[in-house]
Amino acid sequence: MATFRPSESGERQRQRAESLASRFPPLLVAAERVAATIIQGVHGRRRVGQGETFWQFRRYEPGDSVDQIDWRQSAKSDRVFVRETEWEAAQTVWLWRDASPSMRYRSSRSLPEKSERADLLAMALTVLLVRGGEHVALLGSGHPPMTGRGAIARIAEIICRPVADGDASSLPPEAPLPRYAQTVLIGDFFSPLEEIAATVRGIAARGVKGHLLQVMDPAEETLPFSGRTRFEGLEREGDALIPRVESVRRDYGDVLAGHLAGLADIARAVGWKYLAHRTDKPPQAALLTLYMALADERRWK
Amino acid sequence: MMPTLAALAFISPWWLLALAALPILYWLLRVTPPAPRLTRFPAIRLLFALKPKEETPAQTPWWLLVLRLLIATLIILALAHPLLNPGTRLERPGPLMLVIDDGWTSARNWTARQNTLASLLDRAERDQRAVMLLTTAPQLGGEPPRTSRLMRAADARSAAAAIEPKPWPVDRNAAREALGSAEITDDANVVYLADGLDDGRLRPLIEGLQRVGPVDVVREDAGELPRLLLPPAAEAAGLAITATRFAAGPPVVSSLRALADDGRLLGREELRWPENGREAKARVELPIELRNRLARLEIEGEASAGAVVLLDERWRRRPVGLVAAGSLEKRQPLLADIFYLERALTPFVDLRFGAVAELLQRGLAVLVLADIGRLSDAEYAAIDPWVRKGGVLVRFAGPRSAQGTDDLVPVPLRTGGDRAYGGAMSWEQPVALQPFEPNSLFAGLTVPEDVRVSRQILAEPSLDLSQRTWARLADGTPLVTADRRGDGWLVMMHTTANPEWSSLPLSGLFVEMLRRLVGLSQGVAGDPSEAVLPPFAALDGFGRLQAPPPAAVGIEGARLAETPVGPRHPPGYYGSETTRRTLNLSAALLGPQAPLPKPIAELPSGVVESYYLGAREFDFKPWLLAAALALGLIDLVIALALRGIIGRLASRSATAALALMLAFGAPGAAPAQQTPLGQAAAAQDDDTARASTLTTRFAFVRTNSAEIDDITAAGLTGLGQVLSKRTTIDPAPPVGVDVEHDELAFYPLLYWPVLPDAPRPSAGALARVAQFLRQGGMIVFDTRDAGGAGSATQAGARLREILRPLNLPALTPIPADHVLTKSFYLLSDFPGRWAGAPVWVEQADDRINDGVSSVIIGAHDWVAAWANDGGGKPVFAAVPGGEAQREMAVRFGVNLVMYALTGNYKADQVHVEAILERLRR
Repeated sequence: MATFRPSESGERQRQRAESLASRFPPLLVAAERVAATIIQGVHGRRRVGQGETFWQFRRYEPGDSVDQIDWRQSAKSDRVFVRETEWEAAQTVWLWRDASPSMRYRSSRSLPEKSERADLLAMALTVLLVRGGEHVALLGSGHPPMTGRGAIARIAEIICRPVADGDASSLPPEAPLPRYAQTVLIGDFFSPLEEIAATVRGIAARGVKGHLLQVMDPAEETLPFSGRTRFEGLEREGDALIPRVESVRRDYGDVLAGHLAGLADIARAVGWKYLAHRTDKPPQAALLTLYMALADERRWK
Repeated sequence: MMPTLAALAFISPWWLLALAALPILYWLLRVTPPAPRLTRFPAIRLLFALKPKEETPAQTPWWLLVLRLLIATLIILALAHPLLNPGTRLERPGPLMLVIDDGWTSARNWTARQNTLASLLDRAERDQRAVMLLTTAPQLGGEPPRTSRLMRAADARSAAAAIEPKPWPVDRNAAREALGSAEITDDANVVYLADGLDDGRLRPLIEGLQRVGPVDVVREDAGELPRLLLPPAAEAAGLAITATRFAAGPPVVSSLRALADDGRLLGREELRWPENGREAKARVELPIELRNRLARLEIEGEASAGAVVLLDERWRRRPVGLVAAGSLEKRQPLLADIFYLERALTPFVDLRFGAVAELLQRGLAVLVLADIGRLSDAEYAAIDPWVRKGGVLVRFAGPRSAQGTDDLVPVPLRTGGDRAYGGAMSWEQPVALQPFEPNSLFAGLTVPEDVRVSRQILAEPSLDLSQRTWARLADGTPLVTADRRGDGWLVMMHTTANPEWSSLPLSGLFVEMLRRLVGLSQGVAGDPSEAVLPPFAALDGFGRLQAPPPAAVGIEGARLAETPVGPRHPPGYYGSETTRRTLNLSAALLGPQAPLPKPIAELPSGVVESYYLGAREFDFKPWLLAAALALGLIDLVIALALRGIIGRLASRSATAALALMLAFGAPGAAPAQQTPLGQAAAAQDDDTARASTLTTRFAFVRTNSAEIDDITAAGLTGLGQVLSKRTTIDPAPPVGVDVEHDELAFYPLLYWPVLPDAPRPSAGALARVAQFLRQGGMIVFDTRDAGGAGSATQAGARLREILRPLNLPALTPIPADHVLTKSFYLLSDFPGRWAGAPVWVEQADDRINDGVSSVIIGAHDWVAAWANDGGGKPVFAAVPGGEAQREMAVRFGVNLVMYALTGNYKADQVHVEAILERLRR
């Protein structure tokens, strides 16, 4: 690990993400059931275990370490008490963002590419989660969950690592996610609905809770082209010649609405949340939505 | 007149029919769908689900249609091969014979002629015709006109470029004879670049040319014909100029230039040809000194030998001395000898009166002695050598001469009285004059019928008397005799210079004779000898003085006037540097040669006539094709852009290329864009400048503290109120300036509160402050901390940082006799809100800024003392002196402003006592 040096673009990405995240409080993931990991964290397991928060006193039993005896409590009575802390574990959030070629698209020079926005949101989320003490892992990267400042740098480095076109798929890969982990999937989700549904169901079947964040370019929603146009996919899907784009705009809107509704249905079916974001909107909006979806509301109250 | 419609012609006009096909092209372009635009789109899967409803193709944008139609039009026009100013038709396929008038008459419009010639040669080269050249004027070497051999057009081009107009007329007869030897085929074309004038021999020449082939005559428009400047006539006050043109026409105004030998312009007169008049008159009036330098007259803007008249000594005034005996002149002027001489000579000579010795001392061309019988020895001794050196002595007889003369006379005179004709007691009548003999100086003058001579002095008969006689009476007795004496002349008029003895002085002949006599005085001019004058300098066809051509030979002085101008005698100067005479083309043309040519009136039938066009033939074809190609490239770029290919391939470089193309297309567009902002800024600057300069205004430097700025503004306003009340200064409200950006030059005084935490001014700002000080501005630095600028306070340190780059002279506390102590009030100290700290100024140095200090540095926070709340109540307490100290502070302010506005003006008052002392003494 001594040889690790964050690349320049990773560093820049990280700075942007941190400045974006700086307006949010640390994100503590609302975990109904925390993954059964031994990692020390902030989520009390309501069980005795390793942690810092006081959980209970119990009678000294032989075999307990003398160090564990709470002398102050013991002095109040004749018994000797041992102080026990709550088992506090960290929640792990598995992030995934679509790095496929179709994400490298922007309809106008003034807009960021979809992948750029997805990377930014993933990074910002990472920053928030790490500040909240949670553990973060990138789905499909092969790295274990990490936390702390080093994790931010590592993840930034991974995110900015150039991806070969063939390697990146439009959908998250199969991965052995621990139970009760959480996942955030960021992508454009223009794959056929059946494929998406299969993937989501596969992840959800492990008891993993998740969120779908769909990042779209405004052009993908409004189809602002005109005239005789030959459309070409970015992932060798083939092309489509539309003689008059104006005439199909309404139909396209219908098809798109159907697709989005299908996505929402898929998410709802497994109890996930479906969120949408357009690149012409500020990233704060998307981050806030994600934050609200992930955050543990009870802690605010 | 100009065939303007013919200025544009198409070589292949039938191609224009293709323009009719443009609507079809338009329809085709509209119907064909444009190539689809290529767009990359991630959500393409959604599009697969769409079924296109209508297959109506989208239409090509209208501007693209226009562009493509324009390209098609340009190509069609280019194929039709338009020519601007096309040359004459060339009907027959054979060689081209070019006949060129290259006499002096062609010089005026030579460029147009050359252009026409070049166009014709261009066409001959295009058609691969052989070319033969024939110039109609005798050649420089004196050879008559000759046809050239048939040559390729490229060779003919260099031969044609060598043709220059000659300073003599064309010789069309010789040209026609040259035609006989021309070896040219039957199918030749002839183009005659004529000079537009017909000297009577034009028709034979053209008829000769018509035997070679069909003749096209290109000629001058009547308004373009050359003009001829005639030799001037000397008049009373100057030279009378006549210029003539060959065809009467609309009024024309031109200028006549009078030039000295060295080319300096001595005068310019307007030449105005009246409507339908052929002659323009002008008068050149010049002071004698300038007139004697006059060497050349020319019509401005008309470069031709005919528009130039060279002047020699004949036109120059020469001093003539008049000596008369007796005192009769004063009392009875009409009987005086001198009166008639004076009236006759004044117009064209410089007359001087006086004693002989005095006159000769100043140098004379002609000395006239009116009836002086016998010269004194001293006079004789003065006159004799003068005559021998070239002087002309003209003596008139009279009662005194009749008593006998000295020997300064051309012929011995019969002493003992004069001979009288007629009279009360005589049968004889007064005698008339004989016509002048050819060898006489007066040859050519007409003798008026009514001139009678009643008395004369007779000459002693001698063998050579008749040779020495220039004028005789009807009875054969000499009236004027002349003889050479050395280089000079002795001329005797055997009668009086007044009407006493003859009526000659009353006649015009008298004036003419005197003029010739004065003309005699130029030494060579009247030399009837056979001396040959070599050519000295010659005019070329454009009227420029050149070395004489090799064929030029000398002319006998006496025959100069009737010499025809030609290759052997080109117009110009003849003789030597000092004594040169001119042969002018116009004089020769008006002389014994053929009558002046007339404009071409009618040409033989079958001749096609056209006019010279100023411009050379211009071929549009390459330009049209280039434009079509350029538009085609633009179309290509647009087409690629429409399909989205450019955006994908190399959007940056392609856009740059397009921008480059557009920039070349419209270079003027770019700068126009940046004006509005700049104008607004400039307008704002103007307003500030106006507000700051129309009234006196003090400025203060804005600090980073608004509170301090308010105090400073209030202080300067308060000081302004005091100034208005107590002095004649009425300043406008103060202005806060930012040394980083604002112009300082408008303000006489700048108040600069220095705060400890003031940001350090940038180098640019300090440079502007230094400039402000150099230009005489004054700055008051106030550290406001009562510590004094030299102290170690923070503000002091900051002040030193500001001052360091300003390069100020050494500073000193205000000396007791400094102007600041007395510029309005007499002050000894300079308190403000605080007191006690020293106030620093520059050490006086008269060499810099008149010894006026440009900075005043203190710590007394004067503005706080001057400030009031708007109602006159002071805002800050003056410590420790209270209101008395405030008054002093205000007085210091008044002194300060006076110092800033008047400089060292009040410094003089220290010397007032000394000055008064000195005045009293």
